[in-house]
Amino acid sequence: MGCAMADDMIRAEGVSMRFQRGMEGGGTLKQAFIDALSPARRAARRQASEFWALRNVDFTVRRGEVLGLIGPNGTGKSTLLKLVAGVLKPTEGRIVLGGTVCPMIELGTGFDLDLTARENIYLNGAILGYSRDFLVRRFDEIVAFSELEPFLDAPLRSFSSGMTARLAFSIATVVEPEILIVDEILSVGDLAFQAKSEERMLRLIGGGTTVLYVSHALASIRRLCSRVLWLEGGRVRAIGEADEICEEYERSC
Amino acid sequence: MSLAARLGALSARYAFLLQQLVLRDFKVKYKRSVLGVGWSLLYPLLTTAILSLVFSNVFRFSASGVSYVAYLLTGIVFYNYFSEGSNLAMSSVLANSSLIGKVYVPKAVFPLSKCLSSGINFLLSLLPLYLVLLVTGTGLCWQHIYLPWAVGCLFVFTLGVGLLLAAAAVFLRDIVYLYGIVLTLWMYLTPIMYDVSILPSPLQTVIAFNPLAQYIGFARTILLLHRTPEAGQFALCALSAAGTLLVGLHVFRRSQDKFYYYM
Repeated sequence: MGCAMADDMIRAEGVSMRFQRGMEGGGTLKQAFIDALSPARRAARRQASEFWALRNVDFTVRRGEVLGLIGPNGTGKSTLLKLVAGVLKPTEGRIVLGGTVCPMIELGTGFDLDLTARENIYLNGAILGYSRDFLVRRFDEIVAFSELEPFLDAPLRSFSSGMTARLAFSIATVVEPEILIVDEILSVGDLAFQAKSEERMLRLIGGGTTVLYVSHALASIRRLCSRVLWLEGGRVRAIGEADEICEEYERSC
Repeated sequence: MSLAARLGALSARYAFLLQQLVLRDFKVKYKRSVLGVGWSLLYPLLTTAILSLVFSNVFRFSASGVSYVAYLLTGIVFYNYFSEGSNLAMSSVLANSSLIGKVYVPKAVFPLSKCLSSGINFLLSLLPLYLVLLVTGTGLCWQHIYLPWAVGCLFVFTLGVGLLLAAAAVFLRDIVYLYGIVLTLWMYLTPIMYDVSILPSPLQTVIAFNPLAQYIGFARTILLLHRTPEAGQFALCALSAAGTLLVGLHVFRRSQDKFYYYM
């Protein structure tokens, strides 16, 4: 990471991301042999399957700002979130961060069904990058919020999907990150828990942290975001004041 | 920064995550079995019982001047660690592919945690080994203080092979199946059940280059012959282990940014 301007929390400079279609699932022995025999054909195959998910994206998010990310499906929003989260590295350009990132992209990553809820709190917390001290300090709070106290020592295998989601949500949102990445407002569990979890998300977003927020719900984008970035076909279509961009976006649809 | 220093820094920073992953592997492994961790002790003993029955009674194998059972078990304990550790490390990156696409975690923690959790198993299986040393009358000696050298080299070598395979398996899934065959061949090219001296001399030269044979030979010199291994043995073991780790780390580091596209 280079040094960011004092108040720039996320800075994307000329970020492009290239993918190759048809590589998922790895290669096969047969393909490896063919490639080894004919490098020219291999290069041609590569070129044909190339595709740019993002092209030359520039933007900055300043401390405490909530930047909304909008655009049609398959336009590179998730790719951009993964780049900021550090899961992917840009093919071109760079992303400079001014603080620690908490990616709230998918909950419960790395849960182990054979372990108890208690053990999973530590495992999942470690995967999310929490320290042991932090987890020990906040353990009771996580449990209290999830309302799963009586089941702490039951294996996760015996949990309903709603209970699992509640546990995952409680672990993921106990942090006070400097940069928060949110892919849609998460509200999980039964009706009562949904209200509670949505309120906690709103408090996290409104609590002065820097947020990168993706949603298709323009109403909540308008309500929460100060600025909005409109992506289309992997390029920045427009960036600016939330109401203005949202209005323009609605008209184009 | 050197590669080894990098690995050190990585494990210091992610020590908590590493510990949680190792703990998970160990807890989950025997969670649903009645004997639980007892299997770590029983498994090498039972394997040895069967093999010694077959080889010393049916094929009339023996180890010159030492207890054949102790000879066999030393080889089995070392080989089992390598086989289990490298196999689990190989699939560790693929097994965590959903995680790798969502949260940033240094990917080397997966093979590393597998090699460590198999290490707990290995240390447990030293208990039956010592039991056999006592029961067969082989006994103990002060030279045992050198045993950690062989164990350390075995760990470093297994980690190196594990990193190499974990990276390769992402790009070419066939590796997973191929490696099963390679392991079988490797087992027979390692003097676990037989004494090297029964082989024709060209083959003996080949086996001298087999790192597993080096570590097992080192351990047997101590455990069975009660001798301090020669300086050359110390050097050779360290060299093959460190060299393999460097190659494994290098390949893993060079390719890890591309993993995502292949998963």
